[in-house]
Amino acid sequence: MSRFTQPKAAPVSKRDPRTGVVQSQDGELLHSHMRLMSLHDGKSIPTDNATLDVCPVCKSARYMNPSLRFLVNPECYHKMCESCVDRIFSHGPAACPIKGCGRTLRKHRFREQTFEDIKVEREVDIRKKVGATFNRREEDFETLLAYNDYLNDVEDITFNLINGIDLEDTNRKFEAYARAHGKEIEENAQMAVQERQSFSAAQKLERQQARERREAARREEEEEKREVEENRRDVLNRLASGADAETVAKEGQRVQLKKRMDRQAAAERQRQLQAAEDAHSGRTSKFVIKGLKTKQKPEPEAPVDPFGGLRLVDSYFTLQDDYVWEGIQEARKDVKQTAGGYDVRDYAHRSLVAAFSGLGVFVADEVTERDKLAQSDEAVGTARADVGLKDADLMTAP
Amino acid sequence: MSDQVAKDYTQDLPVLFPYPRIYPEQYAYMCDLKRTLDAGGHCVLEMPSGTGKTVSLLSLIVAYQQFYPEHRKLIYCSRTMSEIEKALAELKALMKYRADQLGEVEDFRGLGLTSRKNLCLHPSVKREKSGSVVDARCRSLTAGFVKEQKERGEDVDLCIYHDNLDLLEPHNLIPPGVWTLDGMLRYGEQQKQCPYFTARRMMPFCNVIIYSYHYLLDPKIAERVSRELSKDCIVVFDEAHNIDNVCIESLSIDLTEESLRKAGRGAANLERKITEMKATDADKLQNEYAKLVEGLRDADQARDEEAFMSNPALPDDLLKEAVPGNIRRAEHFTAFLKRFIEYLKTRMKVLHVISETPPSFLAHLKELTFIEKKPLRFCAERLTSLVRTLELTNIEDYQPLQEVATFATLVATYETGFLLILEPYESDTATVPNPILHFTCLDAAIAIKPVFDRFSSVIITSGTISPLEMYPKMLGFTSVVQESYAMTLARRSFLPMIVTRGSDQSQISSGFQTRDDPQVVRNYGNLLIEMSKLTPDGMVVFFPSYLYMERVISSWQSMGILDSVWKSKLILVETPDSQETSLALETYRTACSNGRGAVLLCVARGKVSEGIDFDHHYGRTVLCIGVPFQYTESRILKARLEFLRETYRIRENDFLSFDAMRHCAQCLGRVLRGKDDYGIMVMADKRFAKKRNQLPKWISSALLESDSQMSVDQAVAASKKFLKMMSKPFPARMQDGISTWSYEDLMEHKRKIEAERDREVKNGEVNGDDHHIHGDVVMAEAQAAEDDMGINDDMDAAMMEL
Ligand code: SF4
Ligand SMILES: [Zn+2]
Ligand SMILES: [Zn+2]
Repeated sequence: MSRFTQPKAAPVSKRDPRTGVVQSQDGELLHSHMRLMSLHDGKSIPTDNATLDVCPVCKSARYMNPSLRFLVNPECYHKMCESCVDRIFSHGPAACPIKGCGRTLRKHRFREQTFEDIKVEREVDIRKKVGATFNRREEDFETLLAYNDYLNDVEDITFNLINGIDLEDTNRKFEAYARAHGKEIEENAQMAVQERQSFSAAQKLERQQARERREAARREEEEEKREVEENRRDVLNRLASGADAETVAKEGQRVQLKKRMDRQAAAERQRQLQAAEDAHSGRTSKFVIKGLKTKQKPEPEAPVDPFGGLRLVDSYFTLQDDYVWEGIQEARKDVKQTAGGYDVRDYAHRSLVAAFSGLGVFVADEVTERDKLAQSDEAVGTARADVGLKDADLMTAP
Repeated sequence: MSDQVAKDYTQDLPVLFPYPRIYPEQYAYMCDLKRTLDAGGHCVLEMPSGTGKTVSLLSLIVAYQQFYPEHRKLIYCSRTMSEIEKALAELKALMKYRADQLGEVEDFRGLGLTSRKNLCLHPSVKREKSGSVVDARCRSLTAGFVKEQKERGEDVDLCIYHDNLDLLEPHNLIPPGVWTLDGMLRYGEQQKQCPYFTARRMMPFCNVIIYSYHYLLDPKIAERVSRELSKDCIVVFDEAHNIDNVCIESLSIDLTEESLRKAGRGAANLERKITEMKATDADKLQNEYAKLVEGLRDADQARDEEAFMSNPALPDDLLKEAVPGNIRRAEHFTAFLKRFIEYLKTRMKVLHVISETPPSFLAHLKELTFIEKKPLRFCAERLTSLVRTLELTNIEDYQPLQEVATFATLVATYETGFLLILEPYESDTATVPNPILHFTCLDAAIAIKPVFDRFSSVIITSGTISPLEMYPKMLGFTSVVQESYAMTLARRSFLPMIVTRGSDQSQISSGFQTRDDPQVVRNYGNLLIEMSKLTPDGMVVFFPSYLYMERVISSWQSMGILDSVWKSKLILVETPDSQETSLALETYRTACSNGRGAVLLCVARGKVSEGIDFDHHYGRTVLCIGVPFQYTESRILKARLEFLRETYRIRENDFLSFDAMRHCAQCLGRVLRGKDDYGIMVMADKRFAKKRNQLPKWISSALLESDSQMSVDQAVAASKKFLKMMSKPFPARMQDGISTWSYEDLMEHKRKIEAERDREVKNGEVNGDDHHIHGDVVMAEAQAAEDDMGINDDMDAAMMEL
């Protein structure tokens, strides 16, 4: 942590606390010491350093042959050297040569070990298998708790598979799930692939942009250097032509300062423009947003209704275009009347509304309604009075 | 001096200042501090070294605390233990003075806190050499469950000093007053109570807390120690010129193969413990599991001051979320850790340098091991919970594992501002791989952000913190006040010079191209010889790096330069080994005191340049050989430069130059520790000429135009003249009213300011915030007085001639 303050420690040698042997920087010596250590070590575990470097089949060691490569087969995870694999499995499937194993192995499934700990190697293989099936996402769940419980269950299954607990039962569960949710598994898998692709694309883009920015910064710096140089030459030239030293120097500085300011301002403008453009074209949202549920489209907006749903329809009559009545015939044709936009039908409509008004009202109903209302009003009134009283109490209370 | 009440009214706030005289810059500093506190914001203040920064700060803030009903708490952060102790002593004196003046002892508590290593009283624990061992052993003696075990009648050891605390009233573990660390130790020994825990538990009841940066900045500690401090606390970072590096370090983690191996062993141990516990006490595990299911944080976790380890800076929303299902069960979690460690081990096997961002690391991790980001984020917290459930006592064994867990949490939490750099070889020439995985924080703002978010007033101050605007930029905050004060001096008591040429008129520089040029080395040597001849007593020389120092010294040896220096001075050298260095320092001080005189050759980024003062005869000349740039080939530095450029638009060269100059200013400031002190400051490199405006104001304003392009000969002549002047007696009274003010001077000054303001009021020019006396006005005043003095000086001289 204290990288900034600590001088680098001398890398010369380390004393091994158990054996007291000083391990030198020399690689070969290091290996021999490792073996020494494992001799001291009573309970040597299979992944110990010493066994790490010797092929259990042909006993050739990396100490003698630095280019020795070890391979494992995910069938039984027994390790052997490349030449042993070639020798034993070139002619088709054969039994594992490790004592007590004897599983049939195929050459093409041999691969290099990724992890030092073979148990982890195997675990990861199992996880791969489990992960391909149990690939639900957090969005699939209603609550976080449900998701966490799901994760817990999956982990239980994985753990059982890895440690060989309840194998039969677990496998059954596993299979059952796979069968029941085939389609979703497929979908989620595709989603994951897409995500990976867009992620790596974004990464690539990011890297490229970083490179470009670096390049730009370098160019800018060079530009500035060049300008300074130019300026100096300019000053020298002018001095040579007999100008006053001080004013020339001052002027040179000023020009340079101004240039730099200009450049900075331009860069800033450029940046803002760029940012605006990015925001505009939505290019900034390149990264993937995860955890979004699919949104419903909002319904199209309804037209405005100023009466709030109240509809005025003439329910007792239908207005006719023309009524045979002497009194209005004159007005219908008279330009003086119609010029202002007056329509006789309005008059007719109004008269009809007036004639029918009150037809839907039943006085008896109204009266009972009114009585009821009056009663409840009273109740409210008393309640109010009560409150008022209390307030008053409070007020008068000390 | 007459013991008169130096009651200094900064506007309407009565401030008791514990000295009869005050420097104008102190007054200005206090005015600006008050302005910041009133406005409720952050500020950056640069105050020349040796002008009583700490005392001004304390007296103003204490006055502020006592005057206003809110009693805002002061958190004063300093860097080293000795600085903490100094500040405490200063505070103690101040409070005593206040009591004398006010005629009553105020109800006031001031405590300091440092690590257990310094405060432990337990007879066997305190003898441990390493701090982390002390911590771990103390924890195993004080943890809650150990106590429970004891109550159950099991045979376990407890620390009596800790237990005695439980017998006292929890809010009154120690009587009111200011306690220095030493005083605390003595009191603790007397009362048989642990000073460390006394301080920790009393923190909510203190008016002033003085402790190290880390208690606030290191998120791993801050969570535990500083959680209960309220929002209106006043936070001060003193000597804060390096604060960005502290921030970065507190979030950076280095992993080696060794530490991974240990972490793996720790995980295996945990697994074993879980199996054991399952057999004996399965309920406990079940209990923990049930809690995790419901997403409940341990209720007592909040109060448990001794939580084994705590979590790195996590966003709050995450802290409220439940632990992911796949690491809920203890055995699942250990398997998870093991897998992660194995993965890291495979990454270490790569034999070329890799640098990648956290997202790409996570993507690769997921591809290879099916570890998702989310459980990774909860790693540190889950581990803490597990360790507590298992009631582990030998906690130090799990330190590497915790480191890995912290790393996991950080890498999964922050997408930007961090970088992973894998360096397979220690150096470019090494052939045997010794890989280190640096998880490096590039953004200083991340660690300090919680502090700015949480506290309304943060004050960042130092003797050398120029250019001021760099800090708000780097740390991501806005400041209401940014001020740098010049030093008011009655006579020119320090002489800064920039030497750009040798006596043969060829340019000198420690730059890369001319580094090994014998002519440059010889010129530097001549400068050293000349300066060591004329400097009385002590002289300090700073080199940019150990490597360069070694090379130059060996060439000087062969050129016979060291022999000439030897004639006038002893030569001592700083080494990376701290014990050797302290021995050298001791010898140096003896030689300075007994008149032999000595030259100390040291490095601008070493220990000497930061923490050690060379006051008075311990340092009359400081010589900076070369501009102390950082080693730019470091990959971590490169990454940080790039980050600064892209995020904060700070250009690489600007940052490097800023960084070099702040170290240079630190070095220069070493020799001037007060107004009665004097010294010569020589910057020897042609590149300094262009950087002079990056020096702190108090140095650059004293650096004359004519002194900024000197040759060795000119510098020698100027120094001689300067020393001659310094050797004249200079009675303290000459400073009165100019570089020190008595109470009357201060009142006089205030009257002037008031008159000024009245005039402005009449002119109708007052705008809203002008009720404050601005620091710059004060300084302008003082400057004017100084100029007057210049004339007086001449007159004095004339008189003497007569
Ligand atoms: S409680 Fe205090 S005295 Fe006891 S071991 Fe811990 S630090 Fe030391
Ligand atoms: Zn073999
Ligand atoms: Zn096999």
